[in-house]
Amino acid sequence: MAESNARQKHLKPQMQNKKVRLTAADHTFNVIVNLFMVLIFIIILIPVWSTITLSFRPNDYLGSNLEGMFLPPWEWSTDAYTALLGNDGFLDAFINSFKILIGGVFCALVLTIPMAYVLSVQSLPGRKVINLIVIIPYVFNVGMIPTYLLVRDVGLMNNLAAVFIPGAISTYNCIIMRQFFVGIPNELKESARIDGCSELQVLFRIILPLSKAIVMTIGLYYGVSFWNDFFHAMLYLSDNQPLPILLRNILLASGMNEYVEVNAFGNAPVSAIKAASVFMSAIPMIVAYPFIQKYFTKGTLLGSVKG
Amino acid sequence: MAIGKTGEGSAQTAVQRPSRSKLRREIARHRSVYLLALIPLVYYIIFKYVPIWNAQIAFKDFMAVRGVLGSEWIGLENFRTFVNSFYFWSLIRNTVMYSVGKLLISLPLSIILAICIYECTRPVLRKVVQTLAYLPHFLSWVIMYGILLALLAPGDGVVNDIIKLFGGNAVDFLSNVHTFPWVVLFSDAWKEMGWSAIIFIAALMGIDVSLFEAAMVEGASSWQRVRYITLPAILPVIVTVLILKLGTILDAGFNQIFMLYSPQVYSVGDIIDTWVYRQGLLEFEFGLATAVGLFKGVFGMILVLFANWLSRKLTESSLF
Repeated sequence: MAESNARQKHLKPQMQNKKVRLTAADHTFNVIVNLFMVLIFIIILIPVWSTITLSFRPNDYLGSNLEGMFLPPWEWSTDAYTALLGNDGFLDAFINSFKILIGGVFCALVLTIPMAYVLSVQSLPGRKVINLIVIIPYVFNVGMIPTYLLVRDVGLMNNLAAVFIPGAISTYNCIIMRQFFVGIPNELKESARIDGCSELQVLFRIILPLSKAIVMTIGLYYGVSFWNDFFHAMLYLSDNQPLPILLRNILLASGMNEYVEVNAFGNAPVSAIKAASVFMSAIPMIVAYPFIQKYFTKGTLLGSVKG
Repeated sequence: MAIGKTGEGSAQTAVQRPSRSKLRREIARHRSVYLLALIPLVYYIIFKYVPIWNAQIAFKDFMAVRGVLGSEWIGLENFRTFVNSFYFWSLIRNTVMYSVGKLLISLPLSIILAICIYECTRPVLRKVVQTLAYLPHFLSWVIMYGILLALLAPGDGVVNDIIKLFGGNAVDFLSNVHTFPWVVLFSDAWKEMGWSAIIFIAALMGIDVSLFEAAMVEGASSWQRVRYITLPAILPVIVTVLILKLGTILDAGFNQIFMLYSPQVYSVGDIIDTWVYRQGLLEFEFGLATAVGLFKGVFGMILVLFANWLSRKLTESSLF
């Protein structure tokens, strides 16, 4: 018991074993490790901080952006945000992105969970064939044009579903999930079957309640990829554009007028509006992140490729 | 010997006869599993196999009005055009350069980061860095482009402010052929370093603590513990990661390059995927673009299968 506790807590053995004295070399080691950690912290923070402060830049600001990073918060301006929130295009894009997110994660899980479960039933006759059907397109990727022709042929063009349907099963996610299902003790499934459960009931009553971490993790992976997707949206949608497309248009425009009518965004500086739309697009990810972080670290460890 | 063989053979036939009816029983027993597989399999046929069928236009002179089946066969013409073109080698070179370069930069960084997170003596610092390091992985390349603009823009970017502060001239990092590759490599390292470290942290968590205790009783310093316990413990994971990366060496990061590049840097920025996109969907050369995609697909398949085989040989673990 004490040992397993120690293993969990192990990050510095000498903490647990006070008899060991730290040598000078150990001290240097600790200093270097901590310095590296601080360095990484700064390196990650600087780009994020420069974007955030830029988005709060007042219109009459004259200094350089480097100085702007140290501008005190009481001199910040929220003009860029009020301009963005007051713009219908931005709100529409947000709603479209949300539809793609919900529809995408729902479709992806509804398709991936059964597929992964079927592949995890070891006793299934023909499992190897189904496995092959799943693996072949994963290994042999024919590229974007043939899929584009398919989406066009089935009439999904300019439909929000075109963004998530072609990628609704990621074989990689499916394999990770199958790996997890295989790890659930067979006795549990067998005893449920003996008690008269159908396979569907085994899946819903036995497997899924035990697989919360992996379902959350895979759902998160799908959610992130659909929320962040701009390429498929760019290929398949001509209007009803989601947030990443709008953001891309805003970022590529050298002046705001290039893509919306004059004054649509009020009087905030162009670079502040660009930065504010970057930050606004990232907010849902940043807000959801702490809640799902515990699941993905757990799920990633459980379903890691070692099988 | 001979007797043993016939004995085995008869035993096999004896087993086989009941096994056929057993198979039928097994199939019947798994009826509902097949039912469960039905919808995903239909999905696979439509959305994963029809594109493979569509890929035949690589061997055709594709015309949209005639469709996939109606277009004329032209054999390997599209492939010949691609292999003989002047951009062939530059596309391959850029693609391989970016994937190998990214690996060379982020693999050591993520290993060092994982070891530092594992060895860090300050819990708060560890938690903060760990959380912050994973975060950029979840941001899209559109957002990354916005962040890079705030940082690297020639007129008002923070980096150029610093350069000017020290008396240098502003550099347009994203449209300069000398700086563009480095922006690609380091922005990828910034975004993915923390995420790539997870798998190493997982391996470190699995180390038996008694090894460290024994090492300390024997008087090993922290450096020696890293050298003789920590590094050997994650070596198999490093090998696995390297092998799996080998399989995807032709995927140099389409979304990233597509967001960051511009016509000025096509010579150093264009990779196979971005070229396929422009040729196919902007120039409407569907046949040629598909041929290049197929070329990449075939080589990618060979690499993945080889990597998977190598992984099974060396580390006894494989993706499939």
